[in-house]
Formats: sequence, C-alpha cells, structure tokens
Amino acid sequence: MSITSDILRGHTEAIILSHLLDQDSYGYQINKDIMQKTENRCELKEATLYSAFRRLEQAGCIRAYWGDETVGARRRYYSITEEGRRAYQSYKRDWEEAKADIDRLLK
Amino acid sequence: MIETIREHIDNLFAEAPKTRKAVDLKEEITQNTIEKYQDLLAEGYSQEDACQIVLDSIGDVTELFADLKESSSSTLSEGDRRKKATLRAVAVGLYLFAGAVFLSFQILDGIRFSTYIDLSMLSLVVTVLLCIPPTCMLVYAACMYPDFRRTEDTLVETYKEKAYLRSREKAVRSSVSSIIWLLTVTLYFIISFATFHWEVTWILFLVGGCMQAIAALIFSLRRDN
Repeated sequence: MSITSDILRGHTEAIILSHLLDQDSYGYQINKDIMQKTENRCELKEATLYSAFRRLEQAGCIRAYWGDETVGARRRYYSITEEGRRAYQSYKRDWEEAKADIDRLLK
Repeated sequence: MIETIREHIDNLFAEAPKTRKAVDLKEEITQNTIEKYQDLLAEGYSQEDACQIVLDSIGDVTELFADLKESSSSTLSEGDRRKKATLRAVAVGLYLFAGAVFLSFQILDGIRFSTYIDLSMLSLVVTVLLCIPPTCMLVYAACMYPDFRRTEDTLVETYKEKAYLRSREKAVRSSVSSIIWLLTVTLYFIISFATFHWEVTWILFLVGGCMQAIAALIFSLRRDN
C-alpha cells in the first residue's frame, strides 16, 4: 500500500484538522484513529505528525494545551480554531476537485 | 523498558536547541510513545518487541529542530510580551496619577488651605518623585529584548542579527523620546515656579520638540553609517 502512504503524507495537515473537527485530541490518539479507519494499512510517522502540528500551530489553525492527567505523563492536546475550520473546508473542496480529475484521468 | 524509551528519546534530543518548545516537544513525544508501548503490551506483544516497534515508528526528528531554533532567537516569548505590556500600562497609569496629584496640590494651593507650607514647591517635588518609577519601568521594558547570539556565521544569521539590532534601536529610540518629554515637562515646571514667568516658559516645549527632531536625526544618520 505504498501509494496510500505517499498520498497520506501529502495530506497530513488536512487529516489532522478533520480529526479535530468534533473533539480535541492528541498525537497518539489521532494516529490510532488513522490506523483503525484504514484497517491498519496506514500509519503516520511520528516526525511527520509533529512537524504537521507545528506548521498548523504556526498558521493559527490549531491550538495546543496540556491535559491535566493525574496518572502518568501529561498529554498535549490540540483543538481546532475558526481559522482551522475554514482551512479545512477549502482544503476539502480542493481535494474533491482533484479527486474527480484524477478519476477522469485514470479511466 | 519505559526507561529505555526515555533514554532513546533523550538521545534523539541531545542535539536539539535548548528551548521551551524543544522541552514541550520532547515531553509530547515521550508521552505518546509510552502510551503506544502500553497499548502494544495490552495487545500481547512482548516487552522487547513493543519497545522496538515504538522506537522505530518515531522516525527522524532532527528535521523538527530547525523550527525550534527559529523561535528561540530574538522574538519575545508570550510571557515576556505580556510583562512588557503590563509594565507600560502601569507606567502610563503612574504618570496620570502623578498628574492628578499635581493638580490636586494646585487646587489646595488655590484654596489657601495652609499658609505655612509652600505648596507649589512641595507639589513639584512630589510630582517629580512620582515620575521616577514609571520612567524606570519604561526604560526597563525597552531593554527587555534578549541578547542575540549568533549560532552560525552565515548570511542568514548576519541578516537576523541586523534585524535584531534594528528592533533594539527602535526600543532605545522610544525610551529616549519619552525621557526627552519627561525632562521638558519637569524643567518647565521647575523654571516656571522658580521664576513665575509663565508667559515665557512655555517656549521649553518648543525646545523639547526640537530636541526630539535632533535625536531622530542622529539615529537616522547613525543607521546610514
């Protein structure tokens, strides 16, 4: 499934945003969700994930905060901002168009 | 095994810049990795296998370090910015307070509340004393830029240092201008009360404006050099 992981890497930021739409989450949880949804076919490298977090944070699309876990290490949670929702919507539109184009080209 | 994971991540971060962001990132990666390790154990992996899997999945984090270094240079952290804003706000408040005290003394003087003490001179002394702390605060706030340390002798670093010097110069300029105005106002009152030639002494404000222009000229000439 090398083609999937290649494409996945190019869309890391949009995938993160879409996971944060409904609720706040943290790195490992997001990666676990990706694995579950793709039936263990796809997983992001940690380094890819964290550099995407930093880029999104700098662009003002997400905000980070530390959780207040009493047991074990604190989790670093991320929440999506209004800016992030807008970015996600426009990304989603672009993707739908690109997908349609590629489908037409591969027919 | 958890110790092995911590050690591995410590080694990965040995070359990382020593910044708040780097510490945060390290803690984030450590926490996520340990949680994944514990999940793998629950799925029935052996400790050694689970450890190997999580360490492999971290990947190359050195590419992340560039971002961390960038933010450690001349920009002020959120906390420092807030501190600076607070200092400025309090300083302005103190100036206003000093002004109010001065006016109150004038009113009292007008009523001739007490004829034993020279209220006008006393009010002047109190006002000038009240102006000292806010001035110190403004100067301190202007000096709050951290020292820029050049990490590599490259064009980019040289440019960054230049940009940093410019912002520092701006800070010095603003504190010089506030000192000029403060001195002008103080001198105006001292001379006016000493001579009681209020009809002439206002000319000091023109002198103050002139000083301001001269200071701006000196700064721009120095920049050209």
